[in-house]
Amino acid sequence: MLSENKPLKTLTFLSILLVLLAFLMVIFYAPVELNMGMVQKVFYFHVSAAWLGMLAFLVAAISGILFLSKKNLLYDHIAASSVEIGLLFTAIANFTGMIWARPIWNTWWTWDPRLTTMTIMAFTYIAFILLRRGIDEPYKKARFGAIYALVGFVSVPITFFSARLLRTIHPIIIGGGSGEMAMTSRMYQTMAAGLVAFTLLFVVLLWQRTRLAEAAAVIDRLKAEQNAEEFGEVENG
Amino acid sequence: MKNWFGTLKALVWKDLLQEWRSKDMLTSMLAFAILSLFIFNYAMELDPLQRAELAPGVIWVVIMFSGTLGLNRSFLAEQEQGSFDALVMAVPDVAVIWLAKQISNFLIMLILILITLPVYSVLYNQNLFVPLFLIVLILGAWGFSAAGTLISGMTVQTRMRDLLLPVLLFPVLMPVNMAVVKAGQGVISGADFSTYQVWISILIVYGIIMTTISLLVFDYVIRE
Repeated sequence: MLSENKPLKTLTFLSILLVLLAFLMVIFYAPVELNMGMVQKVFYFHVSAAWLGMLAFLVAAISGILFLSKKNLLYDHIAASSVEIGLLFTAIANFTGMIWARPIWNTWWTWDPRLTTMTIMAFTYIAFILLRRGIDEPYKKARFGAIYALVGFVSVPITFFSARLLRTIHPIIIGGGSGEMAMTSRMYQTMAAGLVAFTLLFVVLLWQRTRLAEAAAVIDRLKAEQNAEEFGEVENG
Repeated sequence: MKNWFGTLKALVWKDLLQEWRSKDMLTSMLAFAILSLFIFNYAMELDPLQRAELAPGVIWVVIMFSGTLGLNRSFLAEQEQGSFDALVMAVPDVAVIWLAKQISNFLIMLILILITLPVYSVLYNQNLFVPLFLIVLILGAWGFSAAGTLISGMTVQTRMRDLLLPVLLFPVLMPVNMAVVKAGQGVISGADFSTYQVWISILIVYGIIMTTISLLVFDYVIRE
């Protein structure tokens, strides 16, 4: 696990290339939107980041369930890594959204369901990280993390549904009725490129971060063993 | 099955008796709730009309905050005396421990609601003792105690304990907050039932989901 990893290296370079390509597409390939102008271009990475924010939560909840049934700490490391990445991208989605909202909606913030849900999701991520920091024992940390990820994962959609019952002004890109944003095929292609690039980036980041967590766990174990030798104590676990 | 309900009853009775003998938790919660009502009065000096509209929100925030205060102590005795293991051995099914704690937390919330409502009604000269509003609050208290009992069972075992509980609980409680306030406003303003019916449904669905999840995973909260 901790030795050199060829496929991961290749994937890392590939993801960097793809993100760069998507970036260039946003700048040169995607047309400038008629009404909103340049600021609309923030949208491509905004959507991709928001998607990752949600994907990360799904991954964390699934790894949580896997941990509870299999008791393998690897799943806990995946969940914890996923949450950290998810928090980062949720923040990116929120801030890029604000940059766009200021000129278009004439306000940095509105109590729209998506904005509210994304922010509550970010707070759930923060709570997850804090909960795990408050526990030393690795298995208990993993168990509680898994439970909280599950509870959070279930409550976030209810939050979204509830917030949606109160009106929305957020543009609806997919599956919307009247509030649909008109997009040309070039725009769709750029959005797709952004989504693919970010998803690969997520896989790479998750893999790297999980390896780091595994390495940290190995070091903790070695330290505990050394302590036990020095003080002549028998450590369990 | 008879054994199951017998254990449940015994555990709830134990919690209530413990609280009745010390009255630590309930006294602090009530004092906190009533003091908060006073603070709200000066924080938002509003004319009576606006106040009537805000009442459900104020009431719920007060109840939720003092409820969180109580939740912090909910598992404290078990944790400090290390009686979790004994409990696990004594009951036929670990889920009973959670359900009993949830019921006693819910009953304490109910007492809190039944005292806070008349106090608010007297202080602000606005009758909030509407049966439907009471039902909304009770449904809210159910969702609150379902999620709260599970999460406080975890936070009590961490280093930060009471510091951590609201941080973990409030994001998860978001739908309950929205639904109680919206349904409450509907009831108090005398709107048609169909306009806020959906919020009551959300409260019921939330309660069922959280209760189910808790019953499924509580085993992992107290057993290694």
